[in-house]
Amino acid sequence: MIRIRQLEVYRGPTRICFVPELEIKERERVGLVGPNGSGKSTLLKVLAGLDATARGQCEVAVPVRERVYVHQQPYLFKMSVLANASYGLRARGVGAKAAARIAAEWLERLGVAALAARASRELSGGERRRVALARAFALRPRLLLLDEPLAELDPHGAEQVAAALGELAESTVLVSGPSSLPGGLVSRSHAMLRAPC
Amino acid sequence: MELLWDGVVEAARLLASREPLVLDAAWRSLWVSSLAVLAATAIGLPLGILLARRRFWGRDTLVLAARAGMAMPTVFLGVVGYALLSRRGPLGPAELLFTPWAIVLGELLLALPIIVSLSHGAVRALDPRVAQTARTLGARALRRAWTYLSEARLGVVLAVLNGFARCVTELGVALMLGGNIKGETRTLTTAIALETGRGEFGRGLAMGLVLLAVALAVTVGIAVLGRQTSEEP
Repeated sequence: MIRIRQLEVYRGPTRICFVPELEIKERERVGLVGPNGSGKSTLLKVLAGLDATARGQCEVAVPVRERVYVHQQPYLFKMSVLANASYGLRARGVGAKAAARIAAEWLERLGVAALAARASRELSGGERRRVALARAFALRPRLLLLDEPLAELDPHGAEQVAAALGELAESTVLVSGPSSLPGGLVSRSHAMLRAPC
Repeated sequence: MELLWDGVVEAARLLASREPLVLDAAWRSLWVSSLAVLAATAIGLPLGILLARRRFWGRDTLVLAARAGMAMPTVFLGVVGYALLSRRGPLGPAELLFTPWAIVLGELLLALPIIVSLSHGAVRALDPRVAQTARTLGARALRRAWTYLSEARLGVVLAVLNGFARCVTELGVALMLGGNIKGETRTLTTAIALETGRGEFGRGLAMGLVLLAVALAVTVGIAVLGRQTSEEP
C-alpha cells in the first residue's frame, strides 16, 4: 500500500528526511523509530499529502481524503470539543446529528466524553491529544498517520488509544514514537536514518 | 468654548426634537455605509483568504496594492468616481451620479482594500497547523475558507469594523459622488460640511455629535459581538 524508494525532503540546502526504502502492506501497523531530526514527522506529512516537496519515489495506494494525519502537537479548532471531533465527519458530508453521535462514541472510547461541551482552549495537553485522536479515528481512514500519539498520555490513556486502534482493524497505521512503543500498538518498527546533509 | 457649548446644547435640542432632516441624513449615512461595507466584505474576505492561502502569479503585487489602497484619499476616489459616472464617462448611461448608489459604490472601493489587507493579515498569521488539520480531515476549499475565518475571527471582525469606520466618517466620496442633495444624498458628513460652511456652527457640531454617536454605537456593537465570539483570554 505504501512503497518508498530514495525519498528525500529538503528545507533549503538541508536534507531533513531521507528514506532509502520502506514498504508497508495493507492493515500493517508500523512504528517509525529514530533520533530527533531523523525526519519521522516529515515522512508522516509527506505520506498524508501535506508536504508536496518530496523527491524520489513515494507511492501511496490510498486517496488523500482517506488518509488522516495527527500532529505531534495536535491543533484543536476554536470550537467545542464535540464540534472538533465532528469536523472531519461534517467535511465528508455526514449529517450534523449522525456526526455528533459518531464523534461522541469516539470521545467516549478515548475517555473524554465528559469534555464534549467544553471549549477546546480549556483542555490540558493530554486531553487535547485524546480529542484530536478521536477526531481522526472517527473517520475510520484507510491510512492513519500518528505523530507521537502517546506523548503526554498516562498509561491508562495509552491503553485507551491502543484499544481504540484495535477497533480500526481496516486501517493501516503509521506511528512515530519513542524507541519503545507499547506492545499491541505496532506490529513492527522501521528505523529512520539520521538524514545526512 | 462657548461655541462648543452652544453646539452641545443645539445637538441635544436637535436630537430631542427629532428633526427630520437630521434623522434623514443619519439614516442615510448608516444604510449607505452598511451596504458598502457588506458588499466590500462579501468581495474582500474571499480575496483576503485567497491572497493568504494560495500562491499565484501577481499575488505579492495585489497584496501590496491592497495595503497601499488602505491610504486611498477619499477625494481622489471622488474625482475618479465622478469621471467614471458623469454623463460623458464610461458608466454614465447607468445614471448613478448624485444618487446614494454612487456613494455606496465609492465607499465600497474605499472599504475593500482595508478589508482585504486586514483579513489577509489575520489569516496569514494563523498557525500553519490550522490549514494542515482542516486539509487532512478532508475539508474542501469552501469549508477550509470558513474555518480560516472562524479561527481568525477577531482579526476578521476588526477588518470589517475598520472598513465601516472609514466609510461612515468619510466626506470626499459622499460630497463628490452624492452631491449633498437635501433629502436624497445628504449624509451626516456632507450636512456637517454644509452647515459649518454657511456659519451654522452649532448645527454642524450637533450633527457631528450625532455622527460620533452612530459611529460609536456600531463600533461598540461589533466589539461586543467580537468579544462574545472571540477565544482570547
